Amino acid sequence: MCCSTRCCNQEMNWEQFDLNPKVVAALKKADIKSVKEILNLSGADLQRLMKLSSADIQCLLKTVSHALRRNSMLTALQLYQDHLTSQHQKLSLGCSVLDNLLKGGIPLEGITELAGESSAGKTQISLQLCLCVQYPYEYGGLESGAVYICTEDIFPSKRLQQLIEQQRKMRTDVPAEIIQKIKFGNSIFVEHAADLDTFHNCITKRISFLLTRGMVRLVIIDSLAALFRCEFGASDSVTKARYLQTFGAQLHSLSTRFRTPILCINQVTDAVSELEAAQGSCSVADNKVCPALGITWANQLLMRLMVSRVPQPERSPGAASHHSGSVHYVREIATSAFPQSYLFRGAAAISTWKSSAG
Amino acid sequence: MQRDVGSLPLAPALRARLIAAGFQTAQELLETGPCGLSKEIGISKEEALEALQVVRQECHGGAAGTAGGSGATRKCTALELLEEEQAQGFIITFCSALDNILGGGVQLTKITEICGAPGVGKTQLCMQLAVDVQIPECFGGVAGEAVFIDTEGSFMVERVADIATACVQHCQLIAEAHQEEDHLKALEMFSLESILSHIYYFRCRDYIELLAQVYLLPDFLSEHSKVRLVVVDGIAFPFRHDFEDLSLRTRLLNGLAQQLIIIANDHKSAVVLTNQMTTRIGQSQSTLVPALGESWGHAATVRLIFHWDNSQRLATLYKSPSQKESTIPYHITSHGFRDVQPPAVTQNVEGTEMNPRKRPRREEEM
Repeated sequence: MCCSTRCCNQEMNWEQFDLNPKVVAALKKADIKSVKEILNLSGADLQRLMKLSSADIQCLLKTVSHALRRNSMLTALQLYQDHLTSQHQKLSLGCSVLDNLLKGGIPLEGITELAGESSAGKTQISLQLCLCVQYPYEYGGLESGAVYICTEDIFPSKRLQQLIEQQRKMRTDVPAEIIQKIKFGNSIFVEHAADLDTFHNCITKRISFLLTRGMVRLVIIDSLAALFRCEFGASDSVTKARYLQTFGAQLHSLSTRFRTPILCINQVTDAVSELEAAQGSCSVADNKVCPALGITWANQLLMRLMVSRVPQPERSPGAASHHSGSVHYVREIATSAFPQSYLFRGAAAISTWKSSAG
Repeated sequence: MQRDVGSLPLAPALRARLIAAGFQTAQELLETGPCGLSKEIGISKEEALEALQVVRQECHGGAAGTAGGSGATRKCTALELLEEEQAQGFIITFCSALDNILGGGVQLTKITEICGAPGVGKTQLCMQLAVDVQIPECFGGVAGEAVFIDTEGSFMVERVADIATACVQHCQLIAEAHQEEDHLKALEMFSLESILSHIYYFRCRDYIELLAQVYLLPDFLSEHSKVRLVVVDGIAFPFRHDFEDLSLRTRLLNGLAQQLIIIANDHKSAVVLTNQMTTRIGQSQSTLVPALGESWGHAATVRLIFHWDNSQRLATLYKSPSQKESTIPYHITSHGFRDVQPPAVTQNVEGTEMNPRKRPRREEEM
């Protein structure tokens, strides 16, 4: 299970608990070894197994629960005022318009999805994030590297080199000597995973190794949908859903354990029926697309960002244009989407991008 | 004192022995005394003493319990229940349409489940309620506190601060309009800091932690007697991955539901759960249904389903013992969960929602 680092799965030495010796003896006799086993049984089952009264069982349940949870309560005020561990810390995208939209950047705990049509700029944003994460904390970074898992294309290393060269022009807010000190290329780890097993191995073993060593604080998956598109037909939707849930759980657990944002790039499909539009839950008024992988995957997400490309950006109203080097122009952020940007789950924001390189 | 031996909280084996020895009521046990009991059923004196202690505690506790209302044998008339329920009040949602279909707001002592597709606003409503439960009584609130159990990590405190600020401003506007003394007095205590400090946040990373937390809740609620809202956001998330054994899942969920019902009743608080939606594949087409299966559907007293109609958010009351099924539109703004504004749009949406084609035609005919 996902809680392997904590005590619930371990064999416990019951003598350490504040329990009646009678209860400890009964636990041993019933061959109950872990907190998880106790909590998996109902009160009545425990009574039967351990031959104890319900009052004793209640006491046992409370004691083990307390041992597991300790003092985990926080008030919202503590969360709000505590600047070090709290949610104030975010990963900046290195672009003030996007940072404003997301109130500072990408939250550290949870899976963020970046969905959009091809050539909308998904890979560009993720490459930029690979660099942003390496900046010092005061410039919105996390002072650590990034892992980039490719599932279909090869890693766009040429583009990355261009971006690294442009960093000084793009990040005018950061002093030049700081940028010079960072060896951007050295802290980006590229993994290739072309099938589900390799991918599974990659996230459970290799990535968790890198995270434990503190070498990376950002995981980018480009893209999950590609793994599923080729291996599953329409008929295996149940197996597919189970895989998605397992991956979601593992990524979630990595993210919370290491306070590391996970960014998944997703493709979009054209919304065909009303039902799918409801599932996609981010229906753009004019062009109906919705992210791939369906509702099972969407349930795992903390935040979903939609990127799209507007053919005639000159005509779009309310242009909030921002110059970030020669890379991206943010042309318009749909005004109707602003209330949605507060929604930290699913359709977070609809921003339209255009690549100036094209 | 006439309590049946079978209903006493003793170890099952001991209970069986007592019944086999012919004991019927607690009274008889007490009269026999520890020595007699140990001889009669062949247990040690210590065990007999312990058993009698339990019996005595039960009987006295039971006698006190009938007045306090915690005993299993509480009796009351429907009229009393009605009065009790009416006196309890509701937690308002700040969306008057939603309050209306719920019959005034989210009910105390009941379990309300919110189901919906990702991103439709379940967590937003939970955060809104955690703020609204604290509205002082003179403004029509219940002046309570909130417990927020977060399994998904989606509790965004900055967002709660936004909602709380908007709520305080709203109350200030009311106070300015009415200029009543108790309003002003209540407002002194009602600030962003006080709201945030009365939301007790628990993060549970897996289902074991969630179960443990729920076992600890009754004690926590006894210590914090002003809590009137317990939110579990979301109940489905920890139970939906890596769970091969479905019968274990059903059993644990049922146990959890039972405990939450007890918590809601004993501590007079509302319990709000969120649930995900899943695709049910039928023969000809697939539909979206709440996750966790059919048997979980019985857990909640009130069930709300949030869904989309193009870019409009809609809330449908799907199950309720007292209100009729209906659908209303709502918005999520920077201030929180709100009615659809302006009213002209509301009418339109309601019309199209309830009867997409006929409504305008009927108006033409008339």
